[in-house]
Amino acid sequence: MTVDCSIAELLACFLARDLNDGEELQVGVALPIPEAAVRLAHLLHGPNMELVFLGARMNVHHLAQIPLPAFGWDNRVVRWTESYSDRGHRFDQVKDWHRRVFFVGGLQVDPFGNTNLIGVGSDPRRLEFRGPGSVGTPTLTTHVGRYYIVLNGHTPRLFVPRCDYVSTVGWGRGGADARRKLGLPGGGPRYVVTPLCVLDFTADEKRLRLKSIHPGVTVEQVAAQTGFELAIPPDVPVTQSPSARELDVLRTRVDPDGVLRAR
Amino acid sequence: MNPERRSRVLDEATAATLLDSGMTIAIGEPAPMALLRLIVRRRLRDLTVIASGLALDLLIAAGCVRKTISYYAGGGHGVPVAPSFRRAAERGEIEIWECEEGILTSGLEAAGKDLPYLPWRGGVGTSLPELNPDLKIIEDPIAGQTLLAVPAIRPDVTLLHAAQSDAYGNVQHYGGPGWLDLFLQRAATTCIVQVERIVANETIRANPWATTIGRADAVVRLPWGAHPWYSRGAYVQDIAFLDDYLALATRAAEHGEHAALARWIDHWCREPAAHVEYLERVGLRRLLTLHEY
Repeated sequence: MTVDCSIAELLACFLARDLNDGEELQVGVALPIPEAAVRLAHLLHGPNMELVFLGARMNVHHLAQIPLPAFGWDNRVVRWTESYSDRGHRFDQVKDWHRRVFFVGGLQVDPFGNTNLIGVGSDPRRLEFRGPGSVGTPTLTTHVGRYYIVLNGHTPRLFVPRCDYVSTVGWGRGGADARRKLGLPGGGPRYVVTPLCVLDFTADEKRLRLKSIHPGVTVEQVAAQTGFELAIPPDVPVTQSPSARELDVLRTRVDPDGVLRAR
Repeated sequence: MNPERRSRVLDEATAATLLDSGMTIAIGEPAPMALLRLIVRRRLRDLTVIASGLALDLLIAAGCVRKTISYYAGGGHGVPVAPSFRRAAERGEIEIWECEEGILTSGLEAAGKDLPYLPWRGGVGTSLPELNPDLKIIEDPIAGQTLLAVPAIRPDVTLLHAAQSDAYGNVQHYGGPGWLDLFLQRAATTCIVQVERIVANETIRANPWATTIGRADAVVRLPWGAHPWYSRGAYVQDIAFLDDYLALATRAAEHGEHAALARWIDHWCREPAAHVEYLERVGLRRLLTLHEY
């Protein structure tokens, strides 16, 4: 059965399915797809999940609605708070972040899942595009059990052979031991999701590999829009569409204003 | 006559004399906008600012900033990068001490603990030490791990916004201290907190566990002082006001239309001679729409 939905809704449902009950799900600002995904997973199958937004930790499984914020830094999420992360000491318990899941965006991503929020251009003092900066992503991606790279586009400018600057280390220069050699305890990136497809990493080399393509997208289109050679298996499935129930909960209890539907 | 305990309450004009060009000034969350407007009104220059988002952007647009200790300069509302920050950075007009939140808090903690540096792992393997040579890659002497040594970051002045304080600088945030507020306070030489209200010392003693800062150097009573940002338990952000700024800053940065932004800054930051005049310009009717629920 195919369901009529936007790509952002498709990705929110895809990510929600990949999140497990009992996990801590931290989402930064300006990432509406993960914001929707963690709420959806929490409502559908995660009564013991904990959501972490803007330094506030909460379990709101019991609520009829957990709407997306109207404003990126909407302080009203504190109405749901059970505690503030570490009471002001926000990085004092990173040893336990193996059960935490995180999401990052990027201006660039390379074949090994390293990403860049700093900027684009050869001269760091005169960047062609100055990005917002690293926020807390280097520390979070160093320690969390796994994270997802969520991109709003899929172009050769985004998918580059080498990032101009690296703000989060995925698999370094490649290889399953790349993170261990750098001394990074976290589990690294699991998937990259884009408007065209879902990518994962090969087991040995940790290179980006096409995992599924969204309905209506071709493998050739993805390859043409990627600035390096992807690992492409012989059979690439279509990304699983949301179920009627997933879409109903998403639209009525998470995103009643249709933020994702419009994207 | 018995000596009396000294009040730490300052009026805004006196508080302003504690701020000067060339200082390193840290800005808490929500941004203490009334104190920031004082900086703009006094036309301070060559500041090193530890700030994020639109508070940072306003200070850059107003020409106050030489250097920023920056971990995040997002614009919000569909604008991924704060426009004045982006323009100044791309033109090389400001120096950026590239970092991230874990690195920043480590540097602030080193200052509070009077250490030359603290080690941190987040940032190992990234471009941060290459972009910021103050971050040294070290082999730790205990376990031989590769870590970053983050030098102490010492603000001259930290400016914060909180719900209430007594006259002696016992500050209580409502709904938890802001993002990095306590790190910024512990690291700074001087901490000035603007508050919605000054309460009796007995109110503080009734719930001392709620005291987040035990001895602010100065408190300034500036009700509605976080506008256009929120103040927990009191009012929410004024989205239309923030959007106005963002639109003008974007037009200035991308199309060189600086006059409208300069007029906005004059109108809201320089012409009001005191906070009360700013509030009169905003208007009671508008302020009263900014309730929390």
